[in-house]
Formats: sequence, C-alpha cells, structure tokens
Amino acid sequence: MSLFDKFFERSARKVSQKGSRRGFIRGLGATLVGAGAIPLLPVARAADGQQAKLPQDADAGDPAACDYWRYCAVDGFLCECCGGSYNSCPPGTEMSPITWIGTCRNPVDGRNYVISYNDCCGTTQCGSCLCQRDQGDRPLYRSDKSNDVNWCLGATSSVYHCSTAIVVGLAFDQPQ
Amino acid sequence: MSKALGLFGGVLLLAATWCSAAQSLSESEVERRAEFNYKMFCRGCHSPDGSGRNSVPVMKNYVGHFLKSQAGRDYLVQVPGSANAALDNEQLAQVLNWIMINIGGASLPKNFVPYSAEEVGRLRQNPLFEVVEHRQRLVVKIEAQLKKDNNK
Repeated sequence: MSLFDKFFERSARKVSQKGSRRGFIRGLGATLVGAGAIPLLPVARAADGQQAKLPQDADAGDPAACDYWRYCAVDGFLCECCGGSYNSCPPGTEMSPITWIGTCRNPVDGRNYVISYNDCCGTTQCGSCLCQRDQGDRPLYRSDKSNDVNWCLGATSSVYHCSTAIVVGLAFDQPQ
Repeated sequence: MSKALGLFGGVLLLAATWCSAAQSLSESEVERRAEFNYKMFCRGCHSPDGSGRNSVPVMKNYVGHFLKSQAGRDYLVQVPGSANAALDNEQLAQVLNWIMINIGGASLPKNFVPYSAEEVGRLRQNPLFEVVEHRQRLVVKIEAQLKKDNNK
C-alpha cells in the first residue's frame, strides 16, 4: 500500500473514531450561521462614519422622490429606488470613497446641512428614479463642486450605478 | 502687579483685535466654520478623518510632518487643493490650522505655529507646477528624518 493510501486510511479512521455525524452537522450549521452574520458586522461602511447630528427628528418627505430635500444637488439615479437607500448602496455595489459635497436646506427646521453625494459603483446604471436638481452644481473647472464628474473613478470599478445623499453635519451659517 | 495687569491688558487687547479681524466670530465659531470648510472643500477626497485612499495621500497622523521644514510648511498652502480653494486667506489659514490640530495627531510638532492669513495670502501667489514630484521630494526628506529619529 502506498504512503498516500496509508495516510488517508489513518485520517479517515481517526475522523470516524473521534468525530460524530451530529458533531459534523453542528459544525456545519455553526459555520453557515456564522458566515451569514458576517455581512451584518459593521465593516466597510466608511462613508457612514462620523455622521453628525442626523436630522431624523426633523425630517419630512419621500426619500424615493426627487423633490426630497437631501437631493437638492443630485444628478443621477436615486439609490433609494435601486435596492439601496439615500445613505447606503445597493448590495453588489461599492460606495465611492471620493465624492463631492454640497449643502441642502431642510424645510422642516429651516437649517442647512452638509450632504455627501457618494456614488455607488460596480454595476451598470440603475435606470430608476432619475433625478436632476443640480443646485450648487459648478462647471467642471471647479471639479470638487461638479456633479458631472464620474465620482466612481475613486472606486474599484468606475461604472456608475446610483447616487446617495448622506448628511454629514450641519452647515455653518455666517452670523449676520 | 501693575506689570502683570499691563500684560493681561495687552493680551486682552490682542485677543480683541484678533476677534474683530475674524469678523466678530467667537473662538468656537471659528472652529466650527473651519470644520465646515474641511467638510466642504477637503473631506470629499481626503475622507472624513484624513486617512485618504488610493491616490489621495494620507493626512491622518502624518500631515504635521510637513511643518518640520519651511518647504513643507509652504507646500501645504501651495498645493492646489489649498491654494485654489474658494476660501479667503483667513478661512484657508483657519482650515489648515484645524487640519493640523484635528488630523495631524502625533505628527504635529510641539512648537506648532499656526498659519496666519498674511502667510497664506503670500504663499498662494506662488503656485506649484510639478506638484507630485515636489511632494515626493518632501516626503523622501520626511521619511529620512523619521528613520533617523527612530534610530536615536
């Protein structure tokens, strides 16, 4: 008998003597549940970090409608209609780490908020809820304030899917 | 005693002058405005905490090293993201100082001298052309110095 055969015979006997079928099923179950829980862990949510003073208590409107206050400078498809939300990307897409930033006025409390328009990238255009409001959009020579830039250039894939509008804090209003 | 009072008065006067120069903003308002300007003009590429990504250089716990040479200090104003920002000299100086204190972390020199509006205004008049190469030369010097410091 070759060395190989001997090795596998020994291993198989060891497994059958020491392990049980139920034990195997238990292990398999734990692995499946564990693997299922991994996406729930707070990883890869860089753009969610440092969210200051979310205006949830003073929020009104439909996040799937283009006239929702956070979308005042959006130019693209709303992630809310594409399997994501106004502040998260649909599964299977990656949030671009570089983005353009503007401000929108919340009609409920009358205050201006800083909005980060992170694009979601990696699969072809979503095609739902096209929204083009462009408030504060500047020509390409002010690239950091232009929504015509493909901000997916900062992601692994430069293919644009949809846009989010994440509140990252209150705007500073110069005292009069 | 009267000397101490005189000194105190002088400090108050200086503080008052500085406040009026800052359009009557309080210290906390200046800080809030600087943080807002970071969000509006820097954060989009440099990321919320300055850690950068891909071709965007890391500022977190590093940017303060540039202050350890005059060329490095000048560079942080002359780099296009600073020099071309739609901010006046005073607000650009304040956002740079905010970055140094809040993002520079351990890299901030102990004898940090804040940027002034005058310094920023002067440096903005001398734009950089070969930005990437210029930065690379500065980083080589910074890394050599850090290596030397670590070996001490």
